Amino acid sequence: MLRITLAQMRRSAGRLAAAGVAIVIGTAFVAATLLASGVITRTTYDSIAAQYGDADLVVGATTDDPLDLDALAATDGVAAVAPVTSTDAELTDGGRSVYQSIVPTADERLMPLEVTEGAMPSAADEIALPTEVADRLGVGVGETVDVHRDVVDDGSWQQVTESPTVVGLLDDPFGAYARTGGAAVVDPATYTTWQSDRWGEPVAVTEAAVVVADGTDVAETQAALAETVGGSTSTDAPRWAVTTDERAAESAAELTGGQDLMFLVFVLTFAAIALVVAGLVIANTFQVLVAQRARTLALLRCVGADKAQVGRGVLTEAAILGLVASVAGVLLGTALGQAALWVAHALDVPVPLPGTVTLTWQVVVVPVLVGTLVTVGAALVPARVATRVAPLAALRPADSPTTSRRAGKVRLVLSLLATVVGFGLLGAGAALGTAWQEPTLGLPAGIAGGALSFVGVAVGAVFWLPKVAAAAGRLVGASGPTARLAAANTLRNPRRTATTSTALLIGVTLVAMMTTGAASARTSLTAAMDEQFPVDVVVTSAEYGAGGEQAALADELRADVAAVDGVGATTDVSEILVQATSGAGSVANWLPLTAIDPGAGAEALNSPDVLAGLEPGTVLVGHDQAQDLGLGSGDTVELTDTDGAVTVTVAVGASGYTNYLTTDDLAALSPDAPVTGMYLALDDDVDAASAVGAIQDVVADSGESAQVTGIASQRALFDQVIDTMLGIVVGLLAVAVVIALIGVANTLSLSVIERRRESATLRAIGLSKAQLRGMLAIEGLLIAGVGAVLGVVLGLVYGWAGAAAALGIMGDVALSVPWLEVGLVLLVALLAGLVASVAPARTALKASPVEALATE
Amino acid sequence: MDTTVYVPIDDDAPGAVAPSDQTPAVRARALTKTYGTGQAQVRALDGVDVDFAAGRFTAIMGPSGSGKSTLMHLLAGLDSATRGQAFLGSTDVTALGDKALTRLRRDRVGFVFQQFNLLPMFTAEQNITLPVELAGGTVDRAWFDTLVTTLGLSERLTHRPSELSGGQQQRVAVARALIAQPEVVFADEPTGNLDSRAGVEVLSFLRRSVRELGRTIIMVTHDPTAAAYADRVVLIADGRIAGEISDPTPEAVLAGLDALRSLEAPVTGTPSDDGTPAGA
Repeated sequence: MLRITLAQMRRSAGRLAAAGVAIVIGTAFVAATLLASGVITRTTYDSIAAQYGDADLVVGATTDDPLDLDALAATDGVAAVAPVTSTDAELTDGGRSVYQSIVPTADERLMPLEVTEGAMPSAADEIALPTEVADRLGVGVGETVDVHRDVVDDGSWQQVTESPTVVGLLDDPFGAYARTGGAAVVDPATYTTWQSDRWGEPVAVTEAAVVVADGTDVAETQAALAETVGGSTSTDAPRWAVTTDERAAESAAELTGGQDLMFLVFVLTFAAIALVVAGLVIANTFQVLVAQRARTLALLRCVGADKAQVGRGVLTEAAILGLVASVAGVLLGTALGQAALWVAHALDVPVPLPGTVTLTWQVVVVPVLVGTLVTVGAALVPARVATRVAPLAALRPADSPTTSRRAGKVRLVLSLLATVVGFGLLGAGAALGTAWQEPTLGLPAGIAGGALSFVGVAVGAVFWLPKVAAAAGRLVGASGPTARLAAANTLRNPRRTATTSTALLIGVTLVAMMTTGAASARTSLTAAMDEQFPVDVVVTSAEYGAGGEQAALADELRADVAAVDGVGATTDVSEILVQATSGAGSVANWLPLTAIDPGAGAEALNSPDVLAGLEPGTVLVGHDQAQDLGLGSGDTVELTDTDGAVTVTVAVGASGYTNYLTTDDLAALSPDAPVTGMYLALDDDVDAASAVGAIQDVVADSGESAQVTGIASQRALFDQVIDTMLGIVVGLLAVAVVIALIGVANTLSLSVIERRRESATLRAIGLSKAQLRGMLAIEGLLIAGVGAVLGVVLGLVYGWAGAAAALGIMGDVALSVPWLEVGLVLLVALLAGLVASVAPARTALKASPVEALATE
Repeated sequence: MDTTVYVPIDDDAPGAVAPSDQTPAVRARALTKTYGTGQAQVRALDGVDVDFAAGRFTAIMGPSGSGKSTLMHLLAGLDSATRGQAFLGSTDVTALGDKALTRLRRDRVGFVFQQFNLLPMFTAEQNITLPVELAGGTVDRAWFDTLVTTLGLSERLTHRPSELSGGQQQRVAVARALIAQPEVVFADEPTGNLDSRAGVEVLSFLRRSVRELGRTIIMVTHDPTAAAYADRVVLIADGRIAGEISDPTPEAVLAGLDALRSLEAPVTGTPSDDGTPAGA
């Protein structure tokens, strides 16, 4: 049988190769993921190992019973000892600040940092900074930098500022402190002071790195050190002395134990989706192959092959295909991983990456095993169909193979059940998230419902998807006979069309869901943020007068800020504290008021609604403030300041605790009140983070004491996080979409081979080459288009439901449609459907009309 | 070798083989087709000159490998000739490109295949009207009704090919070949896949469409009974015209074939030794 199987495989090599590509991509994905995970683990290990410099041994103890560094240094064979420790402080220069890890200097063999300019600090008022930090702060060697550090004393703390001189700039070639953004260095005595100040007491040394003297046996010194600390030579004991490699491997595992597993699970989920789609493509291919070989199979049965042998033949074929494709996939994945490393090295990524990927047995075995199993699994149903081919079929005239097997009732019932229950749960999840404000219940319900309903939709696709394709076909069929032919072709084998479209549906649904969810999240969160913080950027004076009142913000600075690129509308504000009383007595002794011009203010604010109702004679009280103070719209209050008073009507506003007054009323209430700040709106098209940076620079350069706040930079950060996450997820899903599109091409070319004679007949009775090409193009468009459109619709529903379930608690969920992305997905799918028809059309056109007349 | 074993008429001019008073619908002039090169070269058609009269039902007969199908393919513009010319009316089919050939097949030629070759996803009616639709034209309903009635398909129009018997399928195929009112219909072994009763049915329809509807049909067959339905039989052997029989009977055709088979041996006399009228 094996010889026959191999012979058949050779005959169908082209078909099998096309289907195999799906498996190659899927397994390459798995292999690359495993490799990436390995690189992450190794990079973490390398950076941890780098922290120990060239240490040979690491000694550890507990905080209760810390290490005595002098005793360690005095141990036989020890050349140098340094504590493994770090503290932190805020470094500033002018308006720029960096929160920085700090380590003490040590024997150069134990310092992973290299001095690129200047020297290591050697006195109390000296410091060495990472080059990037010095650049960010704008300081060079010889200049001073402000260090703000916390000093805890008897339970109370205060911040002290010192100004040491920068004596050196540092490079971190091994990425020892890459995870903490580099490390600044001070001399050990200063370090000890800073660290004990930080915690209010001297901090015990619990870990130390040791360099063994030249010519001394490391194992001997290890034993000696273990004796010195009174512990063992493994970390099982509370006190220990182990080799650096051992310690680094252990800390790396501790540090990333959860994280790299999460990464692995996260990415492998997408690999699994890609493999499911690949499985659908394989199943389709084998179904067609079995149908095309019906006569050969029947002949085999005629000459004595039993059912099991025929079925086994198909499965053997699948196993060989799966194995070959998976091995190719591992090779491709490894090549991709290595290429990614080269690119990363070429781009000088700040993280020190290994030069080559490491092939572990898992990287090879797991994808090969999974790929082969998926292929064989996908061939199970076709194998069963093959066993049903009756020996008699060999004697019948060869007609187009019949594959219109009816899908089972069980399948219909199960898929209906899953769909109905799933969508019910999904709806409940969305309702729980919005109406009941229970995202902890709503989200799991929504996820379970979404997954269940999607399984139902995919499993039941064979029942309804061809009908949708039929409706779509009728629409395009109206355009002419070519389109009608194409529409009829997509319908002649509902199961095949359904499987092909479903493969695409899966990927497109997930992509659409992610983009819709992200768009809804962005819109909802932006709306919520606008309401809470209605201003892009606020610049306020950080100077206070003797009585605690805010000082004026210099006119010159305000002009400079307004001139910064990207700053749009601005408006001046005065913030004052006034006394408020009503007929019933005191309302508030210190009511904060922001005086603003309603017209100019509306332009500078993100949401003009915030100032709705503000006019001379009214005070706009934030709704939370109004609730706290027991004020309602229409109440009358008298506002009193040292220099004046006004009586105004209360209007309850949209903001929470910010209260607004017009500048006109301010003139009456507090004629001498200075302008203490300004509201800025950023232009829509500017990069918020860089605009805020530019404003900060202007403020820092002015020498004035002023504060720059506002949500612009946070929002930009937030957008960036959403965009990055979305980009990663869509990128990962794209693999599944690519595989599905290969499936469309494969299905089309299989159909074309099956319809060889029919194509020839059509050509004989007057179908032109262009019409034949057009027919196949429309078929490709129909299959891809139906999958893509349904996927987008489903994805929108899932994305909205997910956003409602997760974000309902933040307020009204805005359901937005990411038109651009949706349009892009549809365009890509349709174009791919079109492209998928090119190669099959070429094959179909090769069939000369003469073949229609040939008898066999 | 003398291939004209059977000389039907006294006129030896090649263009005058047809016993017709009308302009020929289809003509072949020195039509040659070779396959392969060098030693492996096969001469499927070897300088064939033949005319097919309009409004007549002509059968092309010959043993397997005689070149009868090749002749038909070249006449119909389905295959390209190595040398020589084939005319449909006044059009030189051998000089046409693929586009023009497609248009010619669509508008001026009809086909009936041995395997029926109906589109399984279309109903009988859709199959019949397909050529007109591919041409972007509108179906002549009166002609359609005539065809359907003549072919006895009125009750079967909404059925798909899988719901029709072989004979019915072939009748649908005949209707499809005739719907665009082509100048000529080529039928390739139209009864090869049918039982004898269905075969008789289809052949009667073909003859009726010539006699009553005025069509021109050229049929390739190796079945003498089928050939006997034609007005005229052209015999072909070894890629050359080997003779012809007018108003044939099955016996006459058989006799003609026998004569062809005995070509290996020197041939003398006439093959119509049973007294069947041979030739005009």
